[in-house]
Amino acid sequence: MIKSIFRTAPLLAALLLLFNACDPAGGTDTPNFDRKAMLQDYATNLIRPAYGDLRAKAEALHEAAQTFQSAPSLSALQALQNAWQTTAIVWQYANAYNFGPAGEEGLRKSLAEEIGTFPASSAKIDAAIAAGAWNLNDFNRDARGLPAIEYLIFPAAADDAAILAAFGTTPARGQYLTALTQDLRARAAAVHDAWLGNYAANFVENAGTDAGSSTSQLYNEFVRSFEALKNFKLGLPMGKRPGQTMPAPQLAEAPYSSASLLLLRNHYDAIEGIWRGKNAAGAEGLGFRAYLEKVEGGSALIQSTEAQMAAVRAAFTAVPDSPALSEQITQSPAALDTLYTELQKLTRYLKSDLSSLLGIAITYSSGDGD
Amino acid sequence: MTAISTHIERWERWWTAPAGIAPLVTLRVVIGAMLAFSTARFMALGWVDDHYIRPVFHFAYAGFEWVRPLPAAGLYAVHILLLLSSLAVLLGYRYRLAAVLQFLLFTYTELLDLTYYLNHYYFVSIASALLIVVPAHRAFSLDVWRRPEWALEQVPRWTIVIFQLQLGIVYFYAGIWKINYDWLINALPLRIWLPANDQLPLIGPFLAMKYTPWLFSWAGMLYDATIAGWLLWARTRPVAYLTVILFHTITGLLFQIGVFPLVMMGATLVFFSEKWHARWQDWFRRRVFTNTRQGSARSEIFLLKKTNLPRRWGEKFVRRFVLIALFFHFSFQILFPWRFLLYPGDVFWTEQGYRFAWRVMLMEKAGTATFYVKDGRTGREGTVVNREFLNAHQEKQMAMQPDMILQFARFLEKHYANQGVHEPVVRAEVYVTLNARPSRLLFDPALDLTQVRSTRELFEP
Repeated sequence: MIKSIFRTAPLLAALLLLFNACDPAGGTDTPNFDRKAMLQDYATNLIRPAYGDLRAKAEALHEAAQTFQSAPSLSALQALQNAWQTTAIVWQYANAYNFGPAGEEGLRKSLAEEIGTFPASSAKIDAAIAAGAWNLNDFNRDARGLPAIEYLIFPAAADDAAILAAFGTTPARGQYLTALTQDLRARAAAVHDAWLGNYAANFVENAGTDAGSSTSQLYNEFVRSFEALKNFKLGLPMGKRPGQTMPAPQLAEAPYSSASLLLLRNHYDAIEGIWRGKNAAGAEGLGFRAYLEKVEGGSALIQSTEAQMAAVRAAFTAVPDSPALSEQITQSPAALDTLYTELQKLTRYLKSDLSSLLGIAITYSSGDGD
Repeated sequence: MTAISTHIERWERWWTAPAGIAPLVTLRVVIGAMLAFSTARFMALGWVDDHYIRPVFHFAYAGFEWVRPLPAAGLYAVHILLLLSSLAVLLGYRYRLAAVLQFLLFTYTELLDLTYYLNHYYFVSIASALLIVVPAHRAFSLDVWRRPEWALEQVPRWTIVIFQLQLGIVYFYAGIWKINYDWLINALPLRIWLPANDQLPLIGPFLAMKYTPWLFSWAGMLYDATIAGWLLWARTRPVAYLTVILFHTITGLLFQIGVFPLVMMGATLVFFSEKWHARWQDWFRRRVFTNTRQGSARSEIFLLKKTNLPRRWGEKFVRRFVLIALFFHFSFQILFPWRFLLYPGDVFWTEQGYRFAWRVMLMEKAGTATFYVKDGRTGREGTVVNREFLNAHQEKQMAMQPDMILQFARFLEKHYANQGVHEPVVRAEVYVTLNARPSRLLFDPALDLTQVRSTRELFEP
């Protein structure tokens, strides 16, 4: 019997190869997705342009800050504020790629933590200005980046004239501001340069699905970005954390500029863009969605995910542009509540169903239940 | 009566018949080396910190809630001591003490957090426990070098058979649990896992082919269920061992299971004849020791001496005790994997009776667990951010395993009660996807988990 097994085994193997070879490539469960092409699209269509935009707008922001510092005026302040808002918007499209050049390295944290930690610490910023000394590479990430710049140029309770006066009386204020914009510009440029250079090729070549593969890193940071939107940009200011006894609108992103909602909408657009492989300008490429089309159970997941995304969109539409997020949280939270719930319902599709269907390893050790 | 007692006698004669010690030496070396290597790797990767020190919460094994992580320095001491004792096992130095330490320390680290449960770890724990009761240091060891009079050429056959039996159980169960509809007919989860690995060198393109998952599913099932038999049979052994190498190389490439493919490739050598083992040990001995400056006088000591089983070996009490312990161990090994039959529902879904049953890489399962904590007095409900308390791996494992979900819920109850939430009500909305099916609720999200006493209650209407 054993002999006959040995005799037939090569035959069986040959037959199997034949089956595989002759099978036409089509069919819903023929897994022939080109992950490298997807990574290439993410790199050239989404990530590189996102960092390119961020770099350009940060550049402009820095110039506006220098102009304002050398010749303070109301119009220069308003130009500066506009430059800040444009930068903050393009940042929403770049905040989900915190790996590789934007990842942690030694003492440097991820780019999102280095330039996007909110809320800014007014105490630390005021202290630094009073002392006339600052270190933009220390642990005080809540005293630099976009939120800190926002605090300097849009103080909540003051009008623009008062801000102008504050810069006039304290030269250190202007120096700190330009140091911050300079730092922001440098960090954005460094990451963009890396993506222009060798990193993009490494990213495309690392095309497995193991932990540490590009797909896994991209996926993990994508989910992290989505959860940050839900938990920290919306949940926390709304008082959705256990133990919070009331809303905490001051914890929102961008509380001084009243841009919280605008940024939130853009952040969500960026999330959907990553899902579809669509960049900020609307150009489409291969993304997680296209990958799902090629795997077992994928079309069902696409359907339920996009139905839920439509519900999230509807909930966003129901939230008016004004008053500001902080005001809506305390005065009329019903529409925001619905939005939060719909975002919550979207979580499982992105956080566990997607990685399970694609077979992406999200952690380094493996469990038996995997 | 007499018929039975002759049977028993015959069985006992077979069981205690002398056999060459060489296979035990190989096992000692393999397991000691693997544990030493894997412990060193664990420390080098910073996993002591990631797994045991940084998380603020650890999932306990039922009945072992008292096993808690030591402070950081203690944990590092445990790992270093484990490394040293497995090296001592490898070299056969103060072997019994080293083997006991190796077993206790390794098992301690495994019991610290349920998150990191792996059947392979469970196997290593068992194998190192079995090593304690066998005289694997009585040849080719530092102990024999120190005490030449300890040298043995032969050991009772059972000391080798128990390892074969244990491996046979592992493979057999791993095989029969693969006999299910998803595995054999749908080729799931391999239809998810194989194409995800299409970037592997050489075999990658083959993995992405349409029918490969079915081939792997059936071959895997047949391999696991029958390999012990092929290994036992001398005629098929060489070919069977080739498939062992092939099988574990492939699983090692496909899954992140660390050094365990090597452990299995090493451990299955115990099926080989004593001659085979003696051959490589002699070869090694000649290569290494006759060239040393000490000359052959010392190296002689490593050579086997013709001795009979010593009279003191197997003193009645010890022999009885070991025999009874082994009887219970193997009865447990055979029966415990079936306990899932005592629980209602599908074992893949509820995971009651899933662990400690050699269900290895059987399903692709993942979940999202959202916990809500309500203040019993004010009625205000908040959403927990799991990552505040758990690392990524803990969260991932917890989100699909009901007993871990309950443990975490109880932790949250206590934590938020301390934070000033009155009479916390904890509920969880857990969506789980199994083998690429659309995710669905694991249990009723309205349940107050602080009132749920057992996992079973989660699934009862």
